[in-house]
Amino acid sequence: MAEIVQNAPERSDDRTARERMMAALRSRTALGLALLLTLAVFWLLGQQQGATLSEMLSLTVWGVMLGGIIALGAIGLTLVYGVLKFPNFAHGELVTLGAYGALTFAAVLPMGPPMLPFSFGWELVAALILTMPAVSLIALAVDRVLFRPLRKRVASLVLFAMASLAAAFFLRSAIYLVWGSDFLFYYPGRANPAIDFPLDIRVQADQLFVFGLAVVLVILTWFLLERTRMGKAMRATANNPDLAQVRGINTERVIAWTWILGASLAAAGGVMYGLASQLRPEMGFWLLLPMFAAAIVGGLGSPVGAIAGAIIIGVAQQVSSAFLNPAYGPGVAFILLVIVLVLQPQGLFGQGGE
Amino acid sequence: MNGADLARAAFLFLPLVLLGLLVLPGRTALRVPLALIAAAVVALALPLLLPRGVLTYLASFSTMAGIYAILCLGLNSQWGLTGHVNFGIAGFFSIGAFTSALFTTTMPQGALAAYSQQLFGLGWPFMAGILMAGVVAAAAGFLVSIPVLRLRTDFLAIATLGIAEVIRFIFQNERWLANGPQPMRGIPRPFDCVFADPACSWLPAGVARWVAPLAPRDYVFLYLVIVALILAVVFLLLERISRSPWGRLQRAIRDEENSAAMYGKNVTLRRIESFVLGSFIMGVAGAVYAHYVVSIDYSHFNPLFATFIVWVMVMLGGSGNNKGAILGAFAVWGVWSGAAFVIDVLSPALQAISPDLPSRGAYLRWMLVALLLGLIVLFRPQGIIQERKKVSDFISDGRS
Amino acid sequence: MALLEVRGVTAGYGDTEILRNISMEVGEREIVSIIGPNGAGKSTLMKTIFGLLHPREGSVVFDGHDISRLQPYQIVERGMCYVPQVANVFTDLTVSENLEMGAFLAKTNDIAARMERIYEYFPRLKERRNQRAGKMSGGERQMVAMGSALMLDPKLVLMDEPSAGLSPKMVGVIFDQIRKINEAGPAILIVEQNAKLSLEMSDRGYVLASGENRFEGTGKELLNDPEVGRLYLGG
Repeated sequence: MAEIVQNAPERSDDRTARERMMAALRSRTALGLALLLTLAVFWLLGQQQGATLSEMLSLTVWGVMLGGIIALGAIGLTLVYGVLKFPNFAHGELVTLGAYGALTFAAVLPMGPPMLPFSFGWELVAALILTMPAVSLIALAVDRVLFRPLRKRVASLVLFAMASLAAAFFLRSAIYLVWGSDFLFYYPGRANPAIDFPLDIRVQADQLFVFGLAVVLVILTWFLLERTRMGKAMRATANNPDLAQVRGINTERVIAWTWILGASLAAAGGVMYGLASQLRPEMGFWLLLPMFAAAIVGGLGSPVGAIAGAIIIGVAQQVSSAFLNPAYGPGVAFILLVIVLVLQPQGLFGQGGE
Repeated sequence: MNGADLARAAFLFLPLVLLGLLVLPGRTALRVPLALIAAAVVALALPLLLPRGVLTYLASFSTMAGIYAILCLGLNSQWGLTGHVNFGIAGFFSIGAFTSALFTTTMPQGALAAYSQQLFGLGWPFMAGILMAGVVAAAAGFLVSIPVLRLRTDFLAIATLGIAEVIRFIFQNERWLANGPQPMRGIPRPFDCVFADPACSWLPAGVARWVAPLAPRDYVFLYLVIVALILAVVFLLLERISRSPWGRLQRAIRDEENSAAMYGKNVTLRRIESFVLGSFIMGVAGAVYAHYVVSIDYSHFNPLFATFIVWVMVMLGGSGNNKGAILGAFAVWGVWSGAAFVIDVLSPALQAISPDLPSRGAYLRWMLVALLLGLIVLFRPQGIIQERKKVSDFISDGRS
Repeated sequence: MALLEVRGVTAGYGDTEILRNISMEVGEREIVSIIGPNGAGKSTLMKTIFGLLHPREGSVVFDGHDISRLQPYQIVERGMCYVPQVANVFTDLTVSENLEMGAFLAKTNDIAARMERIYEYFPRLKERRNQRAGKMSGGERQMVAMGSALMLDPKLVLMDEPSAGLSPKMVGVIFDQIRKINEAGPAILIVEQNAKLSLEMSDRGYVLASGENRFEGTGKELLNDPEVGRLYLGG
């Protein structure tokens, strides 16, 4: 059923839409291929440096797990980007606050025996559940004090970015003040048994828990966004904030829920990261670049994209440690970020137009 | 007033003249003699009024503030002039510092070589080090700007942040380059033989006699003069550039991105030019820093000290405004330094709250600076001194 | 008292004044058209009524309450919905999700029933209900936009140039639906370029020019008025 279009720049007929879609798909596939190619190159470089197949596989598996942690932060980052339309440079501090918050909560709770085969007791799980709303409150407070007045004034993107930078340093100073600069552990000195898998892959039980929890949280998030009214309202507001207002959606409430969801996921990511490695005040900032990379690689505003991006980044970082100094991890994330920005800034799952 | 005081006053004279020329209003014919007289008066008064420790502190304060002012001018020529949001200042700052260090130090010999590695050490003079620092930083800026400048504002910010982090990693991990993570030491201070005993062989006898009462710890007074001169040169250069047709074109690009895009490729080239210019200046600032602190390592250039605080300074002083950039640098550095005193005074109270707190006092200062930026963004985003013409669209807060 | 009364409204953006002393009204269950040349302020009037813009002078009274200072979502709560001219669907959401968003403020739990009613007006939407709105044609999007606005059973629906960008056949279909919708309930206020078509089905109309009232009358009166015809009914 062909329909003739009259001079309307906003509407398109089927054919042009399809054509545009083809073009987008083409470049998106190209992007995906470029990323896979990069990973393959890393793999080859690693093997060239003498890493065995099982070592490379282990790295890849650990990379997927690191990706899970990054994903928890990246989803929140991409949601905030989609709904509030600015890059939140303070998101890393939400991750750090989650980790340290859980440390404090776990310290006041009665300590139980480790839940084998994991290294932690029930108190850490309880602390995780407590730290998520706590960090959400902090995020809401920052929004109320800093970002909401800027929204009312329709301030420029740069001011939002600057404000989030100020919030980032404020929160990080607070973390240093409260907990100090030493490296801390949830369970110093406790054994962390590894489980053997076929192909000589060794994975710590804790790492499996981290990954499992990340999967569970991601599924919950998907459910929230796809099946609840508030979740759909969040997607709607990200898609078209003016129309959301017109439809009667209370955008301030949507924004509040976006912060709650994003901060909770970030906090959980922080606890997972603290469990898998250690707690330090810069830990969130160390993850910030990979999180941004994941969100942009996946396509801003798309949680699915953030997950895909996070896995890619995580694997890239881990696999590259076979031939690079592991400290360069975020640098690797950065290179992937630049590849995406140069080839196809919309990312893998980004929307065609904003 | 003894000989030492007079000597110090003599060193203070030039920076004070430059300060006067910057701040005093009025036509040139009036300002110059006024500045000269006022500077002479103040220069002579200060050693009389202030104890020596305080005077020395003031000199070192001004030196650091001056270094930051150069950094701010560098940022301003990117952000203020063309609207580039560069969150990677630390990267160019560090490149400048390490470059100058590499060019001006000599390769470690003998036993020292076991502890300290560096890529090269040419032992070149100070000014050459400064120049090379600027050139290398500018080259880095050029390389960075090619892929990155086309990006929209938020992507540019993220990308530049990433670049600075990568640069920091490199300096932190690559031993062969600049002894990372260990510090590079022994960066030569220009003219420090002036304060040695006996003074430099090339000093005329009259001058040598006159600086004789000064001790090596008075070196900061000489370095202040050097910083003030470099700052003045950079400032004048930028003022000239900003009034030139090139400068006006940059502002046009900043303010009306869409119509300037009609110029096509030229716009990208112009934007690269301004980014490279800013990088050059940041490199120079890095070099000046390196020769002041004598020993540098990657930790000096973390985003807190070397990117964030510069943005606070530029935002406070007024974006797009060179004079504001300098004043903002002094103001925020004043807040930072003043906070140190306040926190020292409050130390017993802090101790009462928690025994760990006094040692973490530095972070209270960071909180203060972060609060300051928050307040600026909320209440005065255009800064204290507004651009004489139209305020940049980039910092529109919707109210004007 | 009429359902909607605009009394002496002056409004604009920034320093400019677009509307000057506009007065008009819409009675219950009426179809009222606002026509006039480009730049006359028709869209601005609609935005002012809906709270996207606040009047500098005068007032907007809806259902007996002064809504001049209310936010759009508060106005939606009171029973007025708006179909914007452009960007009027959530492109990333499916048809049914779009409709669901239309009922965001619904106090009752009968979203499905409401959606069925909309599907009766626009059967084509029911077929495509799981399709992303962004992939649909202009006419279908217009249906989604209008359907979303109807989900809350509003008393008054504002439509901003519903025929824009549509093929003549589609325009006919849409206007037919508008008539049917009006028969079932809400009053409709239409801003239209296609003045003739719009006036044909309107109970009353207003002609705006340069931000001021020019003519008013019943649809027929305006259609047959030679001066109106000469000036504004060319297309």
